[in-house]
Amino acid sequence: MIRRRIQNILLKEWELLFTDINSLLIVTLLPLLIVGQGILYFWLAFRFGGESMLGVSVFQTALQNLANAIPQVAQLPVDKQLLLLLLHQFNLFLLLIPTMIAINVATFSIVDEKLTGSLGALLATPVRTWELLLGKALAGAIPALVMTWISAGIFLIIVSLIGWGDLSDFLISGSWFLSLFLLTPAVAVLSFMLGVVGSSRAKDSRSAQNWSLAIIFPVLVLIGIQITGIIWFTPLLMLTLALGISVVNIISLRIASRLFQRETITIMWH
Amino acid sequence: MATTEGQKASVLLIVITMTMIKTFGLSRLFGNVTAVDNLTLAVEEGEVIGLLGPNGAGKTTTIRMLTGMIQPTSGYATVSGLRTDQQVEQLHEIIGLLPEVPGFYDRFSGKRNLEYFAGFYPLLDYRSQVEKYLKLIGLWERRHDKVGTYSKGMKHRLAIARALLHEPKVLFFDEPTVGLDPEASKEVRDLISKLREAGRTIFLSTHNLGEAELLCDRVAVINTKLLAIDTTEQLRNRFFRRQIMVQLESLDTRLVEIISNLSFVKEMSHGDNRLFLQLTEPEHNRSELIRAIVEAGGRIVEVSEQKYPLEEVYLKLIREVGHDS
Repeated sequence: MIRRRIQNILLKEWELLFTDINSLLIVTLLPLLIVGQGILYFWLAFRFGGESMLGVSVFQTALQNLANAIPQVAQLPVDKQLLLLLLHQFNLFLLLIPTMIAINVATFSIVDEKLTGSLGALLATPVRTWELLLGKALAGAIPALVMTWISAGIFLIIVSLIGWGDLSDFLISGSWFLSLFLLTPAVAVLSFMLGVVGSSRAKDSRSAQNWSLAIIFPVLVLIGIQITGIIWFTPLLMLTLALGISVVNIISLRIASRLFQRETITIMWH
Repeated sequence: MATTEGQKASVLLIVITMTMIKTFGLSRLFGNVTAVDNLTLAVEEGEVIGLLGPNGAGKTTTIRMLTGMIQPTSGYATVSGLRTDQQVEQLHEIIGLLPEVPGFYDRFSGKRNLEYFAGFYPLLDYRSQVEKYLKLIGLWERRHDKVGTYSKGMKHRLAIARALLHEPKVLFFDEPTVGLDPEASKEVRDLISKLREAGRTIFLSTHNLGEAELLCDRVAVINTKLLAIDTTEQLRNRFFRRQIMVQLESLDTRLVEIISNLSFVKEMSHGDNRLFLQLTEPEHNRSELIRAIVEAGGRIVEVSEQKYPLEEVYLKLIREVGHDS
């Protein structure tokens, strides 16, 4: 019965999500835009700023960090090292996809229910709070993860197509896999939870999204601190980061569950 | 032990009714504001009870506590033996709720909406339940249309169908006709009447006194506290004396004197060829009164009982009893 109830929520969410043109575009086009934009930025930076970047000390430190993490990189020409440094940011750049999709699904799903009053009717059924949250979280997290993985594949294909295929072996590292399969799900869940928290306070989905989009900034900070050589995300650090976010997820789940209590929704959300 | 046929028959004739809803000093505070104060009442199986009261009287809060949506501050309630503050999931399997706002997914069809909500109950065949209730509420033909295209009345009927899908033991209707036009209100009332005839236990809150009188076996008048609970007839008798009106072709002093001297006439007034009487036992004395008038040569045009509208009973309760308490 529990599985049936969660499946029921999941299928309903997807049916609503994929019949809404705006949400559908966010889920399908946004990842492609992020991949395209990412490659364009890195190409532009490499093509037009390459030489000047090599003279900047923060990038020199970052290149040293890269060489420490992957010793074989030292044997590559300097311009290739710089290109690899830029492309290596992509696994963090990809985190924008689960963040934006999960937030969108959470706010779309909850604010919509809040506005139509369907959440009140739903809470009069035997569904449990955690079943409802899990069903909605899966509805957001599954497309977010799938699209992130598809985007990672597209990225690797494009990298090969534009003649940088020799760098693929360096890109597909332990950090890459940890980022895709540990960090991405953790970030997707965190984004969803923040979406729930934001939606509980918001009057419409736009203000909920504005509130919860704050999570995008930490993702950009992660890219910033790696590319400027402050920190290099080694597999160990990536693992630590994923575990840290998972702890935050547990706290956010508790907050979200409290906000999702029947009494809170019945009294405060109307 | 052997039993006779007569004993068997009398055993079969006993109708066992169960108290479906019980509240024991149920109270709810919101900060310093008391929404519901020490509410104690009982509702029997198959009974339709109406909760009447002005805005802010605690009607919706009472329904929310009885349906396990919010917790009481003190006291407790049971529905079919389940504590509404402790056994919420089990409770939700045996109750049906029509909230003030129907709450549907406008982009889904009526049928898809019902199937979604039915999916949360341990039903054997929810598809046939959806079909059964869509037909009952008269929306089977429009089942594939998006709910966003339904009228308010249709949405309310659909919400009633949703409340019935899992064959609940008790139904809670919060202001079932509020905001509906007269035609849609009638459709919803007719549906509730059908459910009443089918022996469902219904707890409904309403502002509409006519609706309460038409649909409910008993009414509970609350204004934070319970002011009265009884049948509308008994409430009338409690607050207003029953008065018989006799319209005559003509009225003379002799006839007035004869009637006023009858032993069962407690009070009498007259005017415009009409007699207004209060009788000791209205049910029994009415025929004796008619006989006495006819024997005295009076020609009766009409005999009727002057009924006070429920509105007057309600206002008296809210103003006088509510004020005293």
